[in-house]
Amino acid sequence: MKRKKALLLAAIISLCVLTAAPAAQAAAPYEAYTYNYYSDAVALPAPFLPERTVDGPGLGVGDFKQPNDIYVTRDGIVYILDSGNNRIIVLDDNWNVIRIIDGFDNNGTPDTFGNPNGIFVAEDGEIYVADTDKRRVVVLTEGGKLVKIVENPESEVLAENFEFAPLKVTADRADRIFVIARGVYEGIMQFDEKGEFLGYVGTIKVQPSAADRLWRWLATDAQKAQMVLFIPTEFSSLDIDRKGFVYATNIDVGSTETIKRLNPLGQDVIKRFGHYPNVGDIRYRTYGRESGPSKLNDIKVIGDGMYVVLDSNRARVFTYNDEGELLYAFGGRGTQLGVFNTPVAVEWQKDKLLVLDRGKNNIVIFKPTRFGKLVHEATALHYSGNTAAAVERWEEVLRLNSNYDIAYLGIGKSLLMAKKNKEAMEYFKLGMSRKYYSIAFKRYRREVMQEHFGTFMTTAVILIAAFAAFRIIRRVRPGRSAGHEA
Amino acid sequence: MKHDWIKFPLHLIVHPYDGFWDLKFENKGKLRVAMTILLLMVVSTSLMNQFAGFLVNFNDPRYLNTLDDLMFTVLPFFLFCVANWSVTTLMEGEGKFREIVVATGYALLPMILVNLPLTFISRFMTSEETAFYWMLNSFAALWFLYLLFVGNMTIHQYTAAKAVFTLFLTVIAMGIIVFLGALALTISMDMYWFVYDVYRELIFR
Repeated sequence: MKRKKALLLAAIISLCVLTAAPAAQAAAPYEAYTYNYYSDAVALPAPFLPERTVDGPGLGVGDFKQPNDIYVTRDGIVYILDSGNNRIIVLDDNWNVIRIIDGFDNNGTPDTFGNPNGIFVAEDGEIYVADTDKRRVVVLTEGGKLVKIVENPESEVLAENFEFAPLKVTADRADRIFVIARGVYEGIMQFDEKGEFLGYVGTIKVQPSAADRLWRWLATDAQKAQMVLFIPTEFSSLDIDRKGFVYATNIDVGSTETIKRLNPLGQDVIKRFGHYPNVGDIRYRTYGRESGPSKLNDIKVIGDGMYVVLDSNRARVFTYNDEGELLYAFGGRGTQLGVFNTPVAVEWQKDKLLVLDRGKNNIVIFKPTRFGKLVHEATALHYSGNTAAAVERWEEVLRLNSNYDIAYLGIGKSLLMAKKNKEAMEYFKLGMSRKYYSIAFKRYRREVMQEHFGTFMTTAVILIAAFAAFRIIRRVRPGRSAGHEA
Repeated sequence: MKHDWIKFPLHLIVHPYDGFWDLKFENKGKLRVAMTILLLMVVSTSLMNQFAGFLVNFNDPRYLNTLDDLMFTVLPFFLFCVANWSVTTLMEGEGKFREIVVATGYALLPMILVNLPLTFISRFMTSEETAFYWMLNSFAALWFLYLLFVGNMTIHQYTAAKAVFTLFLTVIAMGIIVFLGALALTISMDMYWFVYDVYRELIFR
């Protein structure tokens, strides 16, 4: 009887332990992953965990209504564009309300916003608002005073009845303004510091598929007239890095260039050096719910070459490094803390990740785990050329997750720099980089050849001499082999 | 012994017209040797998939399987022989099935002779040098195809044009055989499940 009780107790305890352990791990309602060399999704430890959500009542400003955008400055000041309420809520880095901008003084008359869609804050504190329904971009000072209004762009390249409906806005240090406007397929609209329209940058190329071309070829003129024009897709979001390069995303289904980095000439200079294009998900269902390629609807440059994009199709966040390699992806749709309903904007506050959810009218704050922090630190150190310090982080990353190819690559590159070619080869093989493996191998081979040149030559000379001697002996005594055969 | 196993096969691959003639009319081709070559082909394919240098080996090591290599070498080999026999019998070919098997087997030899050392050398190549790897690889394949062509011509006593045409027909026949095989398999599976379902209906009544 006693023994039975003890057994029962043991069973209960083990049951508690067993059920408690997964509960502790299930803190993240999503599975983080990255893609390996073979384009398989490989599970990762969660790089970020949801910390809490921020909503209107929590801030004491009343419910958000259809918030469309959020911007965080480098000091961590948060600007929430509460579009439905036509106001901007400014918060400090501890989420205390500094001020609410719900209107401005437009040359004597009080003016308000009309369903604004995008917000950007320049380094000097000027606030740029894409005031969609009022057909203008409003520039305000930090305190909410009007600086200028950009409206009614005039140019030969614009149609007579052109309606300027800005959706997203950003500006560089020279106060040039970049605007994504509704119904503009030619690219990103560029304005100078006075608000004059300069032209388009970053036009998306249209590539009709072979099937499209076949249909067009077969169609009669009347049918052709009824066909949909091959119009490039619009851009969906943009951001700017410290060097003045504009990062932009577009929803071009089937394209491998949905993320662009535009130099001041408007050329796309983003690196796509990963094993697969940087377009969000590369493996997805073709039919059914949440199928099809990623639809990137926001981008945030987080510095050190890294950028985060938000996929509105599957509500996931993807972070890439400067080479265009996927660091991690996570997120999903749902009602729990950490998954989203309608994510519309992603931001970076110091080392935390913010996602604005229009459907839930709140902002989710994600804080990095040890793994996420290490990956970010190592990537940043590697980007700034501090490989030795990066290696320490990468080794730590590998202890947490030995399936992380980028870490092997990072260590390999530093070993290569330290001329430890043989070890570098090993790491490049694990990181599946044939390019760097070849470089390391070439150096290693030369090393070995140089070291053993004497041995090689001696062996070769001895072999040649032996062969010559053999031939001579055979020629001198031809009878021997003949006699042998007989 | 030495003549059958080493001298004649090596002579055949460099002097194919002569070699295949001797194979057919002097009865120098041995089935044992052909089968050994086929087996070596399996071994060399396996070794290549497993041990070729990192820079030229694009196989996913998680899915390497020697049994697959065996299956995908031996089955196509006999598929080709059967298809070739079927076509040439209808097209006045003079070759017997045994001769087809032996000739095809001997034709595989250059692939082994090139690929085995190549597998070894590829481990010491940098990416600029891998061009040689692919070149020699294709060279071996072309050599094999050339031998196959000459073998076909000689064994069946065809003209060159007819040999090319029958080889083309052989490929089509291989497709038909695979299709019929798949069809037969599907139908027999359906029949099996039908009987099984009837049986289940009966025992659950």
